[in-house]
Amino acid sequence: MHTLQLHINGKKVGPLQISEEIMMIEFLHEYLNLTGTKFGCGQGQCNACVIIVDHADGHSETMKTCINSALMFNNKHVRTIEGHAEKNAQGYAVKLNPVQEAFIKQFSFQCGWCTSGFVNEATVLVETLQKQPVQLHDVESLIEDTLNKHICRCTGYVKYYKSMKALILAQQGVKKS
Amino acid sequence: MKFLIILVLFIATSFIGLADIPKQKLIKKGAYLADIGDCFACHTAEIGQQFGGGVPFLTPFGNIYSTNISSDKQEGIGDYTYQEFSDAVRHGIGKHGNLYPAMPFTSFHLITDEDTKALYAFMMSTKPVSQKNRKNDVGFPFNIRLGLKGWNLLNLSDAKFIPSTGKSKKYNRGKYLVNSLGHCGECHTPRNFMMAMKEDANLEGNLIIGYVAPPLTARELQRQEWTLRDLMDVMKYGYSRRGTVLGHMTPIVYHSLANVKEEDLEAMASYLLDSDTEIKEKALTFNGHDKKDPGYLLYSGYCASCHGINGQGITNVTPALAGDATLNQKKPLNTILTIIYGIEKVRYSQTNGFGEMPSYDLSDEELQSLINYLQKTFTNLNIKHSLKDIQRFKKEVIQGMHDAGH
Repeated sequence: MHTLQLHINGKKVGPLQISEEIMMIEFLHEYLNLTGTKFGCGQGQCNACVIIVDHADGHSETMKTCINSALMFNNKHVRTIEGHAEKNAQGYAVKLNPVQEAFIKQFSFQCGWCTSGFVNEATVLVETLQKQPVQLHDVESLIEDTLNKHICRCTGYVKYYKSMKALILAQQGVKKS
Repeated sequence: MKFLIILVLFIATSFIGLADIPKQKLIKKGAYLADIGDCFACHTAEIGQQFGGGVPFLTPFGNIYSTNISSDKQEGIGDYTYQEFSDAVRHGIGKHGNLYPAMPFTSFHLITDEDTKALYAFMMSTKPVSQKNRKNDVGFPFNIRLGLKGWNLLNLSDAKFIPSTGKSKKYNRGKYLVNSLGHCGECHTPRNFMMAMKEDANLEGNLIIGYVAPPLTARELQRQEWTLRDLMDVMKYGYSRRGTVLGHMTPIVYHSLANVKEEDLEAMASYLLDSDTEIKEKALTFNGHDKKDPGYLLYSGYCASCHGINGQGITNVTPALAGDATLNQKKPLNTILTIIYGIEKVRYSQTNGFGEMPSYDLSDEELQSLINYLQKTFTNLNIKHSLKDIQRFKKEVIQGMHDAGH
């Protein structure tokens, strides 16, 4: 058993004692009832289970939760799918984040199992582009490179990619003409 | 009369057909030898026609592009005589000047006349491809091909293949294939300051294009407890009980070694392991976990979910770590490489392959702790790398990847 302490969606969790064999997804589901992160292949291949890790230097990255233990997130600041929408005082979601909004507008997903992974990956991309915009002609390849590793068994790729492109082009400061 | 003419024509065509049989046999043999020599991999661009050339080789002196070796008379080698073909393949002397030693003629010079004739027959029978050769981007003074004559004088031996006395036919067949057509030494043998293979260090391992081509000496392979079958498996399928191939070895398995006959694979394994008979299989090393070791936390946190808590791996997803030959190297450069850069998913055939491994941004201390733990747990090596060692190895890996343009 080891001590785990971290920040999830801005809230401090722990310190608590946890076995080194508990994977992060298990911790989110069973200890915190955060079930929005989905368990896909369990072998680090489909990326359905990725969450966002925000580093102290300001950059963010996604990390798989099915193959990394909870203790590997010790002292980290992470965001899960539950943390994106704005909530009211009662805790109900009242406004989705732009990526969630874009995916819904384009009917990007069907069963939704892969969606939390796509939302997290796309959110990091959009945030990064706001800080470091790219040329217009690089947008499509950047979306492909970023989302390529995410598997959608309902084959919603085209709509995911389209909605990302529309969002990136619509957001101010994202592109340089 | 009509019947007679038909009969004469029938007999004549039959004889022509019969006369073609030895030639067809020779071409078939040549095609097989070209497979072993892996002509395809270097002379066929990713999006290009077979043997059309144009594959770039990044060297410290600039980019070299492989040439069109199809039977096209204009752009390829279709107008080569046998002697010209032999001079190019075995001595690095092309019709238009000396070849750069990216062409492995320092290994191919050992190919027998008989096999060279078969290769020639095959190469002259390939589909002509009119793809133009790309000019090399090699800077001065390396663009002067005359200098290569001097390089050849110093580094190219005229020696023919000599079978080892007191060794079996199988061993010597393997020795021939490994050192001539197989040109294994071109990557697995360290190079001297002139970038030529060190003759006295054959197959002792080399850092090349960002990866370690591991040592293939019998002593090292026996220490790592390979069997003939393990070596044959890793050559034929890309993976085995003792681990998998990595990086640039993957297309070599796919295009070349997967097509090599079982008896030739066995001969190569027999030579490499210096054993005519199968070696008794030993259990894959798993020394049990030391849960107090800080490396255990990293192993269970990052590795165990895919490679198994006991390092057993998952079929077609991840290789086993128990008994893995990559971990079982005293200088763990390839292990560091896989951890810090990850591995792309790989297909060895239509049905076999492994998934992607993510990269891990570990601190030097974590890397030291994890590597020492992996070697302690899954190999019989009794090594503990210091932090300085690990930092030095990591630097070497990063520099290697940078030089290789990855």
